[in-house]
Parts: sequence; structure tokens; C-alpha cells
Amino acid sequence: MNRSLLTLTFVLFAFCPSPLPGDEINFEDDVLPILENNCLYCHGEDEQESGLRLDRRGMMLRGGDSGLAAVVPGHPEKSYLVQAINHVDEGMSMPPDEDKIPAEEIELITRWIQEGAQWPGQMDDVVEEEIEHWAFLPRKREFDHDTIDGFLHQRLADAGLDFSPSADPRSLIRRAAIVLTGLAPTPERTRAFITDFENDGDAAYESLVDELLASPHFGQRWAQHWLDVIRWAETNGSESNLYRKNAWMYRDYVVSAFNDDKPYDQFIREQLAGDKWDIGQATGFLVAGPHVPSATVGSEPSARRQARADRLDEVLQTVGASMMGMTIGCARCHNHKFDPLSIQDYYSLTAVFQDVEFGSRYPERADDDPRVQLERELRGKLADLRREMLARGYAWTEDWKAYQEVHFPQRSVDRLRISFLGRFVLMDEVEILQKDPDAPRGVRNIALPSLGLQVEENPATKNEGMTAENLVNQSYGAKEFKATSPKGSAERPWVNFGFAKAEPISRIRLSSDREDFLETDYIKGLMKIKYGDFQLEVADESKAGAEAWKPFCTSAGMKRRAMEDTEYNAIQTQINNVISQLIDNGPQPAFVARFVDPVETFVLARGSPESPYDRVYASAPARFDGDLGIPLDGPGPQRRAAFAKWLVDPENPLTARVMVNRLWHHIFGSGIVATPSDFGRAGAMPTHPELLDWMAARFIDSEYSMKAMIRSMVMSRAFRQSSQPNAAALEKDATAQLLWRFPPRRVEAEVIRDSVLLASGRLDDSLGGLSYRIHNEKKRYAQWKVVDNYGEETWRRMLYQERMRRVDDRMFTAFDFPDCGQIRAKRPVSTTPLQALNLMNSDFIVTQARLIAQRARQKAGDNLREQVGWCFQLLLTREPSDDERNAAVEFVQSESLELLCRTLVNTNEFAFLP
Amino acid sequence: MNPENISSVGRSLLNRRGFLGQSGMALGGIALSQLLAQDQLLGSDASGGPIRPQFDDENPYSPRAPHFETPAKQVLVIYCPGAVSHVDTFDYKPALYKLHGQKPPGIPQVTFEGPTGNIAKPFWDFKPRGESGKMVSDLLPNLAGMVDDFCFMHSLTTQTSAHPQGENFMNTGFTMEGFPSFGAWVTYALGCETDELPAFVAINDPRGLARSGKNNFGSGFLPAAFQGTDFTAANPPANLGRPNAYTRNSDRASVSLLQKLNAEHLQRYPGDADLAARIASYELAGRMQTSVPDVMDIANEPAHVHASYGTDSGTELKKAYAHNCILARRLLEKGVRVVQLFNGSDPSGGNGITNWDSHSDIKKTHAMQAEIMDQPTAALIADLKQRGMLQHTLVVWCTEFGRMPFLQANGTGRDHNPDAFTCFLAGAGVNKGFSYGESDEFGFKSTVNPTTVYDFNATLLHLMGLDHERLSYYHNGIERRLTNVHGHVVKDVLA
Repeated sequence: MNRSLLTLTFVLFAFCPSPLPGDEINFEDDVLPILENNCLYCHGEDEQESGLRLDRRGMMLRGGDSGLAAVVPGHPEKSYLVQAINHVDEGMSMPPDEDKIPAEEIELITRWIQEGAQWPGQMDDVVEEEIEHWAFLPRKREFDHDTIDGFLHQRLADAGLDFSPSADPRSLIRRAAIVLTGLAPTPERTRAFITDFENDGDAAYESLVDELLASPHFGQRWAQHWLDVIRWAETNGSESNLYRKNAWMYRDYVVSAFNDDKPYDQFIREQLAGDKWDIGQATGFLVAGPHVPSATVGSEPSARRQARADRLDEVLQTVGASMMGMTIGCARCHNHKFDPLSIQDYYSLTAVFQDVEFGSRYPERADDDPRVQLERELRGKLADLRREMLARGYAWTEDWKAYQEVHFPQRSVDRLRISFLGRFVLMDEVEILQKDPDAPRGVRNIALPSLGLQVEENPATKNEGMTAENLVNQSYGAKEFKATSPKGSAERPWVNFGFAKAEPISRIRLSSDREDFLETDYIKGLMKIKYGDFQLEVADESKAGAEAWKPFCTSAGMKRRAMEDTEYNAIQTQINNVISQLIDNGPQPAFVARFVDPVETFVLARGSPESPYDRVYASAPARFDGDLGIPLDGPGPQRRAAFAKWLVDPENPLTARVMVNRLWHHIFGSGIVATPSDFGRAGAMPTHPELLDWMAARFIDSEYSMKAMIRSMVMSRAFRQSSQPNAAALEKDATAQLLWRFPPRRVEAEVIRDSVLLASGRLDDSLGGLSYRIHNEKKRYAQWKVVDNYGEETWRRMLYQERMRRVDDRMFTAFDFPDCGQIRAKRPVSTTPLQALNLMNSDFIVTQARLIAQRARQKAGDNLREQVGWCFQLLLTREPSDDERNAAVEFVQSESLELLCRTLVNTNEFAFLP
Repeated sequence: MNPENISSVGRSLLNRRGFLGQSGMALGGIALSQLLAQDQLLGSDASGGPIRPQFDDENPYSPRAPHFETPAKQVLVIYCPGAVSHVDTFDYKPALYKLHGQKPPGIPQVTFEGPTGNIAKPFWDFKPRGESGKMVSDLLPNLAGMVDDFCFMHSLTTQTSAHPQGENFMNTGFTMEGFPSFGAWVTYALGCETDELPAFVAINDPRGLARSGKNNFGSGFLPAAFQGTDFTAANPPANLGRPNAYTRNSDRASVSLLQKLNAEHLQRYPGDADLAARIASYELAGRMQTSVPDVMDIANEPAHVHASYGTDSGTELKKAYAHNCILARRLLEKGVRVVQLFNGSDPSGGNGITNWDSHSDIKKTHAMQAEIMDQPTAALIADLKQRGMLQHTLVVWCTEFGRMPFLQANGTGRDHNPDAFTCFLAGAGVNKGFSYGESDEFGFKSTVNPTTVYDFNATLLHLMGLDHERLSYYHNGIERRLTNVHGHVVKDVLA
């Protein structure tokens, strides 16, 4: 067994006399006494509070747990010691609970550092700290075995154990089907397998495994495991816990990655930097964790800085736990206590992800992406329809959800007025569009102050701080313009737009809040138009004063025309249809991260954004040759792509090991390293280190084929053996870590739910798309409430249940279904009476028990014994024993078939992997 | 049980004992943890390492010994979401009268919600109360009458000015989501005295869940068994009741068939603890189906009890909350380990008033909220006292932060104050008629004995006989605690 080893080496070279510059400061006489009197009691030979020693120069340079050098020769401003004795930071003032040391002593130490921190006899003192931990060392390359079973068998033999006999075929197909696809097998497939198995067990099993690996259910099952680790959800968490629009596109990406056997290195690259390769939805990975939206952070700048640091920490947790198998977050405030991660490493990693922000964008897509193709087609249609409208001289309004767009035959305008008919107007932006063949979509906004635009509004309805200038500030979503007509006043809001010269215009875009369209929907009261009816007007040169405006297009007029003019109405309806198709099925904004300009990154002393320290640049941890080989201030995508490249380098000691172990964990119930997301020194030691390295090598050699690895694991004798206990072996290895049997275990929440639906024959096994919803549509600051977790629309695989952070689904939360607040590399397994109540009394079970019973009757006809047999077949994929059948028949005679089905769903047999 | 449950520290302990040396990793997790438990190795380890409660898989709620004996066996947490104004309730600041309407230097220009206004004197008069003469305002007349039983903590500080993060911090020890709640930690550590009711019950406000929702009583990364079960006097737990379609006899027959099928299955896996645990859980569920409706049967409480809690007077919200208070007492009587009672919801919950958050017209909104909280809460604590239950029940009244001594720019409300606020304790193990810590002369910042939320939670665990530095759970590379790596027990509040 590998043992972790902490070596602390002093490298003391031969003393080289270095002359002390000047004669002002004598270390022994001037500085050492200050240290002795004030510091060394806690930071000396006997005690090292916070891991800091100040009795050796080398230790001073290294610093303590904070990760910050106590002394940087020549740079008192960078020396943490100087900050501490000056009480710069309330939380780190030294000496503790006391007044500062005398000013002249502070001065002396500062000068001493300024002059190079001369310490006679220790000027070449260097402290090297090296952690030798198995997971950080290169993988072994030579092995004694070349099969999984070979390695396992040797460990078993060493412990005086052996494999168990093969599992019976019925257990085997149930086990393989649930492990690979998350669904119990059907009775028909089970029967066929048993027959084939009796002819040729190996061939039957092999073809079963290939069939299961090829099933689309495979990707659905394994995607969930990955989503667990990164705590992916479709809401933000936190107070408002808003729905993340189209976040599911990332979920579908993961499902396809598993189904298509996307090589793991590519899977990593795309999730970190898919924006570079036109597979933008993959970066949903980066923002899988929770975040607090800025609206609930408050107005204080320090709170905003803290929230940003927290968001980056969520990104790092995701990357660390899933791809690196390391608990990076520990190094946020100080050097990692167990692992070779310094605080500099942590912030260098934040520099890698400095361009990542929680939010939505239009994910990059390849030209042959179906959504892109559809968009081309629909945009063409839309252009035709618009031409039809314009040819007839019509004006019309298009509803793009985020905004309204008013179209009208082109006219030349030097002043334009929007008059509102209502008393209250709340808007975020107005764009006035001009044809421009070179601009995207052929139009450009000319409502820009930079082009000399003048904005004026009705002074009678004006609101200070929310004036009409904000309508053209290109800040969307802030509802920054408000106009209100005072009580009893006949004045109504209007806004004038004056151009530098007459401009041809043909469209106007108006909105109240178009940010929400990007970030979320599915909230009551979102994206409401808050400006009512309006008129577009131009100056009427023939009149003067208040009457000097005449409308050329009114919202009421367009509505009236739509009612009265059938031709107009027909085209308008077609336009509406095309737009809603575009919004639903064209490229859409999705909550898969948005990118910002990376700002400079600093080490934050003690994790506080208020204490920026040394500047750092994007790199991976230094212990792992973290230089990414990119320019220091390279653009964000380049940083992320380079980091991905570092991760998938075959020499990286962690990446392949971590993933192979994760696959193993989901197949055998416990990893070779029992802590799948912590390969550090606080994690578990591998039970079979050589097997792990051997599999990691195979994984890389197979070009990172996850299916190939999974296949080799389920083809092993270890997987195919019986799960029956055996007293002698139990005594030696109670949890079967050494795999003397296949360790039986509980199935997850999803397996229970999906297998019940499969048994009733009602499982809608469509792949992907919008999640099914069990919650209400809520107001912004309300809590989600479960309204229907059992109706027909919910009969899809549970992977597609809208994943609401920390919301109890009133059914499977009790079964350790994760709340997506924290990394879940492995789910805990609870047993609680609430599970029993949910599985006995919930609407879901009552409904499904009825449907399963119906199905059993259809299959069996009137014969009660047959009906009972079918209930067992549908739920447990076996015939009842005579004893069971008799008891069940008697039960059905007094109760019902439906109640029998409900009872079978509750059996241990249904809830355990055999 | 699996080897993950053995941390590096646990492993090193074992290494010291030579367990692993003999047989590599071959010794199973269950056997190991049981050995450890019998040996009390973890509990008596003088090195002060982590203590991971060992529980029986067949009954995760079986009672477990505390780390050290204290009077408190149960705990009632009364949580007031929205932030109660300490300067208008329990933290008397005469200087506010003197400076009323002024804006002395030192007041920040901007706080959480925006620009600040002038100092405002308390909106309710303060009077000396009880034998201790503690100054308490007229906002809470009933609670004011009981100050001789309370132990006030006036110098609390928190890390955030935002409600959800503040709720998370108070209730889970972390501002971020996903960490186990105080109640989950206590239940994990101590199990429960009753096997008929959930070990940890969260009684949500009649208006709904607080802003952090289930996170306030969730189990985080602890097993789901330790999450709070939420129900109120009006709404039973989800799926407790037998479906209408089925009869009691049908249910009995179903369970009996189930146990027969499970027994046959168990023969194939003799001695399997996970299977046995699941069988046992159905028995417990059956008991809960009777005992929960029993404990919810508040109508049968005597009239004088209803009168004292105020179920028949005042606003509808107050009546509903009073019912919840009676439910809380009944749950504690039955031996439920942790009861968490909420007095406020998220901002969508009610008509007019949803919680203590009073950014505008505090005079009206705090008064509305106080009307709901004061009488029933005071009656609940008095009832516990009168029944002798305070001797073994710790009562905690708390909120996520305080409010500012000055008004917001609107001139009628007080903004959030994370640097000074007041909570109080009562009951088992707590100093009576005592006040700990002080805020400055305005109640703006804590000055004397500033007490962090970590300290507060460390003290609560200590009162329950638990060492906050040792009660832990290994999760994802870290030996997790309620108090993270912080917290000092406030010894002065201990009786």
C-alpha cells in the first residue's frame, strides 16, 4: 500500500559570507530581540501557530498556512509580516489581542526587510516542501496482470478469499440493465436472456451488454451520475431560485456525449471551452453550481466583490471535484492543509476562469446544427412575409418576447416622437433601426447619443433618476426609464428623438425588460410590457405647438386592422407563427455561462476580496507542472482551452485515474478510491492501486472511450458473480471491498421511479428537450411549490424532471435525490420512514399501481394466478414462488391486484440491486 | 457504511491501534465502526479528533449519548425571518433619543438597500421589566414579561446583509447553500427519544417557507434521514395519510404481505443490515401514521391553553401561528429532539406582511409581525416552564441580523444591520435574567464581546452536550462541521 509521506527538507548550503550593507541594522542586536519578544513564542521552534515559523529565514520567506510570504526581501509592501504588525487587516493583527509593537520597532523591521532581510548565516536557507502522495505521482507502467479479474483475484487470494460463483441469469440481467441504463429489464427481455444464457452464457451476456451500451437509456443513466458530481440544476438556488432558461441544453449535451461515446478528453475540452469549437452548450458545465443573482446581493460594493469571488469559487469546485479529483476550495483562504495546492495555485486557477460569468448567451453552434439550419429557413420565410406586408404599405408589430418590434414602410425622419396613451410607462430601451446591408440581420440601431441623438421627454411626467436618456444607454434589463402622469393631470408621457440629420428608418424596437428573456422565463409577471398603447409620430410642419405632431403608426390602429382586415390578419398570423417557431426551435439563449472581459487576478489574502495581494496569471497548480504555455494576459477562451489541454495530457497523474475510478464507483457501488472526488491525502486510499493505474492506461490507450472502459468492467467476472453472502468472507471483508461477491446495494431514486413507469408500460422514453415540470409558475421571490409530481406529463425518465435546487419534490428527496447544493460524487443512502410513506401513499404510486394492475390483467386475462404472476414479472422480472403466489392470490382476493402492485413496489427486492 | 466513513484521522487512529496492519483493508467498514463505537475510541480520543456518531442502520434515530452531559436534551429554535430590529425590541439605546433626527458622522452613505437617512429613536417605548429590570420595548409586551427567564446576547455579528445568505448562515453555519442545518447536525449526533415521530420537525410559518426554504432545515450532505420533516398544525407531512382509495384493513394486509415477501428475500441475504433497516422503517412509518395525527390534534387542548396561546384572538395569521406554537410544545412533549418554529416566510407569503423585513413603515410592519409572534411565543415558553420542560429543553430565539439605528432615505424603514443584533436563549443550561455582550451606544456595531454566528452555533451545540470542534462528517475531502473551522463557546451564557 502506498503511504503518504510528508517530507520537509532543509537545504542548507555551505555558508557563503555575504557582507552586510551599511551599518544601520544589525540583525542579531536590532531585529532578533523584537522577534524574540513578540513573535517566537507562537511562531518559533516549539509552536507554529498557523504553520508559521519566524526563527529561520527560509521559513519566513515561505510563510505559514496563509500561503503568503511573511517576508519578501526588499519588498516590505509585499511582506505579510509587515501588514500583520501594522494591523492593516482587523482579522490578522499581530501580536494578537494587543496593541501594536512600538512604532520604532515596526520601522526597524520594515527597514530590515527593505534592505534585504539580512540574516547572517542563513542567506541561502531554502525550505522545500514536497508531498509525496500516491495520486500525485506518475502512474505505474508495468503490471503483473492484464485483466481486471487478474488484479482482483490476487488481492482476494492474499486475503484468503475468492470470487463467488456466477450470478443466476435473472439477477445478472437485472443488475446489468439497472447499472447500464438505470431501468429494470422487461419480463420479455429477461425471459429471452435466460433462454439464451442456458445455451451459451458468455455469448448471451456479451450481446446483452452490447445491446444495453447501445441503448439511448445508457446516456440518460450515466449523464445523471456526471450531473450529480457537478450539482447541475435548472435554477440558481438562493432566495429567488430563478429558473435558468434552456439550461437543459447542457444536460442533453451530456446525454449525447455518453451515448455517442465521446472521447473523455474531448468531453473535457468541450465543457471547458466549447465556445471555441461551436459546441457552446457544453460550457453549461462551468456554471453548473449555484449562484446568487446580483439583485439579491445588495448595493454595497464589498458585497458585490464577495459575490463574484463566491461565483468563481463555485466554478473551481465544479472543475476540481469532477475532472481533477481535488478539493480546490480549501486553498481559497490558505494553503491546502493536505494537498499540494497553495493559495497562489487557487487564484491562478481563478485566472483561468476569469472570463466566466453566471448567465446566458446564445451558445455557439456548428453550421449544420439543426437549430441553425431551421433558423436559416425561418428567417427566409420571415423576410418574405415582411416584404408582403411592406408591399401593401402596412405597419405591424412583432412580438419577440424580449421586445416588441414595430415595422413600417421606410420613411425619412429628423425628429420622431413616441406618445404613450397610458399614465404609466416603464421601459429599459428603445432602438430605432435603419437598413444597413452590412449590419447583422441587415439593420443597425441609430438611436445612439454617439451619433448626435437628442432625447427629450414630457417634463410633466418625468421621474428624476429614471429619465429618457436611459432609453438609449444600451443597458438592457434595468427598467431605467419611468414616466408617470400625475393624478388629475391630462399630460401623458412622450419622448422625442432628434437626429443630427434626416434619417431613413423602418423599424423601432421597444422593451420593458429584455434581460429576463435571456436569463429566465417561467416566472409570473416576467417580460410584461409596461408601457401600454403608443403612437409613433413625426413633426407636422403645417401646425405649431402641442399639435405639431401627427401619428403615422399607432398600436391601437394596428390592432384594429388585424381585426378588420383579413389579408393583413393572415400575414400577421404567419409572422407570429414563424417568430414563435424561431423562439422555440431556433438558436436560443441558454444558461450555459456568459463570457466577460477577464480582469486582473490577484491572490486574495485569507480569501477576502478586500485584501488583494500578488498578481497571478492563469496556470494549473505548480506541483503538477502547471505552466499552460500561453501569454500571461491571453484571452479567456485561450486560457480555458490551455487548461483543458493540461488536464488531458497523458502525463497528468489525476485525470484518467479519477474518471476510471468514477466509472468503477457507479458499477460496483464503491470506487477503488472510495472518495471519487477527492484523490488527495484526506481522501481514501485505493484498495487496488495497480488495477487503477492499469485501467487508467487502458482508458488513455482506448482514446478515452468511456463505453470501452465500462464494457470491460461489466464483462469482468467480478461483476458477473453472485451477490449472495457467505459467512466466512463476510468476516474478512464485510463490505466486499475486495469484491469476493458483487456487493448488493440500494437502487437510486431515479431507478425506482423510472422502473415503476416501465412496469406500467407508461414510460415516455423520448430523449431530451425541455424538462417536465412538477412545480407551479411562481412569482420572483416566492418558493417553488410542487403541484403535480405524478400526472401523465411527468411520465418521462426522472433525468428530465426539472432540477430545482433545494426544493423538496415531495417524493424522492427522501431517497437522497440530491438537492444540487453541493458536489455529490456519491450519494448517501438513507433509510427513513418518510421513504416508506412516500412509496405507500403518494399519488404517483397509487396511480401507477392501478396502471400496472391493469396491464397485468391485459397480459394474463381472467386467471387470477396468472395475473399475480404478471405483477411479479412486471415489477420483479420473475415468477413468484408457490408460497408467494398463494399468499398473493389470497391477498388479491380480499384486497385487489392494484394493492398487490403497490406492495411489490415497496419490497426490498424492488429497491435493491441483486 | 463504507470506507469513506473513515477519515484520514480515523485511519490514523486505526493505524495506531494496529487494526489495519493486521489485515490490510480487509476489515469491513461496519465491523470497524462498531468496534470503534464499543471501544468508545472515537469518543474518548484524547487528541480531540473528529467524532462521527455511530448509528444503527436499522434505526438511524436511536438515541445516542452526547459528548458530555448537559441538562438540555431537546431544543426549540424559534426563527424570525426578515431580521428583527434589536433597537426597537431588546437592545435599549438611550443615545438614539438624543440624536433623533440627526445624522452624526460615522453613518455610511449607503447600506444594503441604498442611501441612508437620519438616526431614529425606537418606535416603541422601553420600560424596565421583571426583577432584573431589563429594558424591553412595548412592541413585545408578553415576551417582555418573561425577561427574568431569558439570556440575551446583544453583540451578535453576521457575515452578510442579504436575507437568504443570513438565514443560511444562522441555520447551517455557511452563507452558501447545501450544508446541513443545525437541527440535522443535532439529530445526526443524538438520534431521538421517540420512535413514533420524526426526530427533527420544522414547523413553517402559516404563510409558507422562509427565503432559504428547505435549506434552513435540510440535511445537506448528511444522510436524508436527518433532514427536518416539515409540517404545521394545519398541514400534515406529505404522504402521511393513507390514500382515500384504500382502507385501514387494506393497509394492514398490505404491510403484512410486504413483511412476508421481505422476510423471504432476507433469507437469501441473511444478516443484511440494509435490508433489515428498510423493513424496520416500514414499522416506524406505520407508527407515525397514528402518532403524527395524534400530536397534531390540537383541538382537544383545554380551553385555557388555547386562550393563553391566543388561538382565538387577533389576526388570522396570529391564530395560525398560535396553533403552530401549541404543536411545537406537543412535539417536544413526545420527545422530538429538535423543533424549529418559523415566524415569517419569504416575501410572497401573505397579505400585507410576510416577515420581519421592514424597509418601509417599520412602525406598522414590525407591529403587525409582533402581533403574530408575541403572545403565542411567550405562551409557548411559559407553558414549557410550567410543565417543567424548560429544565431539559433549550429554547433559542433568533433572526438573521439586526436593523439600523438610522432610517433609510425613505424616512420610515430601517435597513439591514449585520454588525449588531440580538438573540436570546432560555431553558436548560442557560443563565437566566442575564445579558451578554453589548453593541455601541447606537446599536450600530457590536463592541463588548462581539459574538459571531460561529460562536453562537458553537454555544448551542455545547448546550446540547456536543463539542462543535469534534462533531463532524466526512464529505468530499473535508471533515465538515457546523462551525466550519471557527467558533468559540460563549461560556458566560452557560448556567
